[in-house]
Amino acid sequence: MLVDLIQQLFNGLVIGSIYTLVALGLTIIFGILGIAHFAHGSVAMFGGYLTFFFIQQFGIGLFPAMAVAMAVGALLGVVLERVAYHPVRNAPPINAFIIALGLTLIIEKANLLVFGVDQVIIPTGFDRVFNIGGVTLPELRVYILGIAAFLVVAMTILINRTWMGMAVRAVAQNRPAAILMGINVNTVSMFVFGLSSALGVAAGVLVGALFAVAPGVSGGLVVKGFAVLILGGLGSIPGAIIGGLVLGVSEAFASAFVSSAYKDVIAFLLMIGVLLIKPEGLMRRRSNR
Amino acid sequence: MLTVTNLRIAYGGAEVVHGVSLEVGEGECVALIGPNGAGKSSLLKAVCGLIKPTAGNIVFEGADITGMAGHEVARRGIAMCPEGRQMFPEMTVMENLRLGAYRRRKEDISAEIEEVMTLFPRLRERASQMAGTLSGGEQEMVAISRALMAKPQLCIFDEPSLGIAPKVVDEIEDTLVKIKALGVTVLLVEQAVSMALRVADRAYVLEAGEVVAAGTSAEMSSDPRVQRAYLGA
Amino acid sequence: MNRLCMLAVTTALALLPQMATAAEKTLTVGVSDALSGGGAVYGEPQRRAINLAIEQINAGGGVHVGEDTYKLKTIEYDDKADPTEATNVARKLIDRDGVKFLMGYCCSASTGAVASIIGREDVIMLVGTAGARAITAAGNDNVFRTRPPGDYSGAAAGRFIASKGVKRLGVLATRDVALFTQYRDALIEAFEAEGGEVVALETFGGQDRDMSAQLTKLRGLEPDGYFISGYVEQVAFAYRQAYELGITAPRYGFSGGSAEQFLSVASSEALEGVWDLIAIEFNADALGDTAKAYAKAYEERWDAYPTPNSAFAYDQVYVLRDALEAAGTVELDDVKKALRNLAVPEETVLEYLPVDGKMFDPKGQAYISNGAFQFHNDKWDFVTKLPSDSAAYSAYFQTITK
Ligand SMILES: Nc1ncnc2c1ncn2[C@@H]1O[C@H](COP(=O)(O)OP(=O)(O)O)[C@@H](O)[C@H]1O
Ligand SMILES: [Mg+2]
Repeated sequence: MLVDLIQQLFNGLVIGSIYTLVALGLTIIFGILGIAHFAHGSVAMFGGYLTFFFIQQFGIGLFPAMAVAMAVGALLGVVLERVAYHPVRNAPPINAFIIALGLTLIIEKANLLVFGVDQVIIPTGFDRVFNIGGVTLPELRVYILGIAAFLVVAMTILINRTWMGMAVRAVAQNRPAAILMGINVNTVSMFVFGLSSALGVAAGVLVGALFAVAPGVSGGLVVKGFAVLILGGLGSIPGAIIGGLVLGVSEAFASAFVSSAYKDVIAFLLMIGVLLIKPEGLMRRRSNR
Repeated sequence: MLTVTNLRIAYGGAEVVHGVSLEVGEGECVALIGPNGAGKSSLLKAVCGLIKPTAGNIVFEGADITGMAGHEVARRGIAMCPEGRQMFPEMTVMENLRLGAYRRRKEDISAEIEEVMTLFPRLRERASQMAGTLSGGEQEMVAISRALMAKPQLCIFDEPSLGIAPKVVDEIEDTLVKIKALGVTVLLVEQAVSMALRVADRAYVLEAGEVVAAGTSAEMSSDPRVQRAYLGA
Repeated sequence: MNRLCMLAVTTALALLPQMATAAEKTLTVGVSDALSGGGAVYGEPQRRAINLAIEQINAGGGVHVGEDTYKLKTIEYDDKADPTEATNVARKLIDRDGVKFLMGYCCSASTGAVASIIGREDVIMLVGTAGARAITAAGNDNVFRTRPPGDYSGAAAGRFIASKGVKRLGVLATRDVALFTQYRDALIEAFEAEGGEVVALETFGGQDRDMSAQLTKLRGLEPDGYFISGYVEQVAFAYRQAYELGITAPRYGFSGGSAEQFLSVASSEALEGVWDLIAIEFNADALGDTAKAYAKAYEERWDAYPTPNSAFAYDQVYVLRDALEAAGTVELDDVKKALRNLAVPEETVLEYLPVDGKMFDPKGQAYISNGAFQFHNDKWDFVTKLPSDSAAYSAYFQTITK
């Protein structure tokens, strides 16, 4: 029984760490620009396809392919910000909302056109399985947890310890004051989209290695990402980290102790619960903003 | 140092500042006083590039900065301690201060940190506390210090005494005097008029978007209209 | 004279269309199948198999219906395995293209939607791989299906698992596809009738690729066998994750995917030894020389090895040919009657088990043999046929409607 509990916890943390990566990107964009960037999942899938393409076409390893794809993703993010969202930054929020929906369709269709309809599984070669006292730890899942943890820590350091990161937080917390400090909000927006898209691509690659990159996956990812945002608090970075893990583990436990049929319902029950009890999210203080 | 000429500001067609001109000379401390809604904050925001004026000119150190982006203005050396303090609430006091020095982020700023900590010893105790959890007076200290961290050529204060306990207002007055003594050029907006006139060299009176009186602080203090309207005489 | 003249002209006119077409008549059949999207792994091979059979028949002189000889040709549409799309395709084929014979139909949901409206139409619908029971159980007299319903194979599979000594079975199955749920229910019923116990029934949804939580739960109940069913990709992920969870008890399944399809998701180690308990679809090892000839012809024509399900569609074409020739007319009522009394055509690839000597039972359902296949060294090995009683099942089948 304990073994199963630990196993489910491990399973949940692996999935949750991917949710966290998705949610981190969504939350910093929401924090800075107040945009619900629905196309994030499609960007993630694009990164997954691209990584697969690099591995197949140039025979490079998973990690270099992933790094290049993240860089391309970052560039794509900057372009999206400039071309799609920047022009409507002063318009009513409904404009950005419509743009977000449009972008989702465009990127999704572009993925279909370029990469086809077939599901793609990113080959990793990480096929070993470690067994510790009955708890099985597949190599790939351990790496996924490691990669996600590395990216989360790197991003946290970037946001907490660098001037750019401080600028990002400043814009999120008080935009006019940030401008008064001499922070260029445009630069920050582009940076945030770049960073967020790179993280999204990383999530897409991990999904593609563990499961598959395929049409229809992106929608699920974005829904889970926003569920995490509501769980952890809109715009909150610690909220995204904790929220993602909580969601992943809750889903695993729901399958184990309630019913596998209700696995997906659990995300929404959690969301509703949090909205009722702590509407500002798990990781936000009530007083702020 | 700062010359504002015939500045007009409107919000969605409704003009609130109707052709205001004023000047702040190098090393001077100038007060801008007037009732609520006169357009003082709007004028300051236009100077700092947070809003665009509909007409008129703003010249800072010989360069036309009218309509320039806010961060560009800040980089040229105008710092503002805004109305309502405008903390970064989920950052520590220290981070708020460091952000004040954003335009000097490639330089060593430890000396300036030390300086403002000496100015407001309370901040030293609060350095790692979230700014959002501070009292109003403490936040004002952070706001003032943050503006000073930029080592600005011109430092603008928008009602630093608003909503602050009287004891702390005295402290703020002392600080303003010290800042002036450091040779920083100051543009001070205040409704605590007697305090403002004690600190400033000159003053403008703004009413309903127009300058209705101007002169040295001494002149203003003895102006019967000012006495009646603002000094409760 | 005048009268005679009129008569001559009328006769000539009446003969004209016949004379014009007597040389070569064409019979158009409509093909509706999933040619893109997830269902295309089943639908596209069916389309190819139909075209192969038609080319063979045409090359062999066509279909001899009474005095006439027909060449066959197709009009093909992609129904994307989607119910709405498939209904639209059916309307297009019937109303616009005026087609009388529909074939293809790989996927349950889309086919079920068409089957539910087809009873009112003047057409004959030949269903291939779509396995949901209701498609023929509903009892429309113009629907005929080569693939047996899921639960027909499920019962045989349940008995087989019990015969392998499994006492406690953990079940993981897709929850919302009728074919799989019916198979699973029949399997559980037969397995329990043999004295087995199902420790838990876990499910997954149509988009799920992560069954780790369900498998972990099953693993904790320590069954001595697992049964996993659903579409290929999902079952392959389940096997991959079962392997990751260190599950070594025998794994039985029902999905009918090719070895390549499984290997594109899971490693050979993860798949080694798993069973697929299915109606014996096309399989060159399990079936005889006709199957080998089919594989050869298909490969030559399409430059790809036929998928197991493709033969359901291939056989449809020969069924239609024999029925037309037996009827001696293209009149629908006569063709329907001929189909009901049809003996198994010579050229069919699959091993049909006729009921009362007839390929289709009164509900238009055909039955084939069931088999156990085991994954070994990166391919499916045919191990044994499962005891299957088509007459008994058919008798039961006549009593249900969904
Ligand atoms: N963002 C805004 N939109 C519309 N009207 C505004 C806005 N900000 C200020 N105002 C109006 O402009 C006038 C001047 O306001 P303000 O500059 O804040 O005055 P003061 O700082 O002197 O109290 C007021 O009537 C106020 O209502
Ligand atoms: Mg004001």
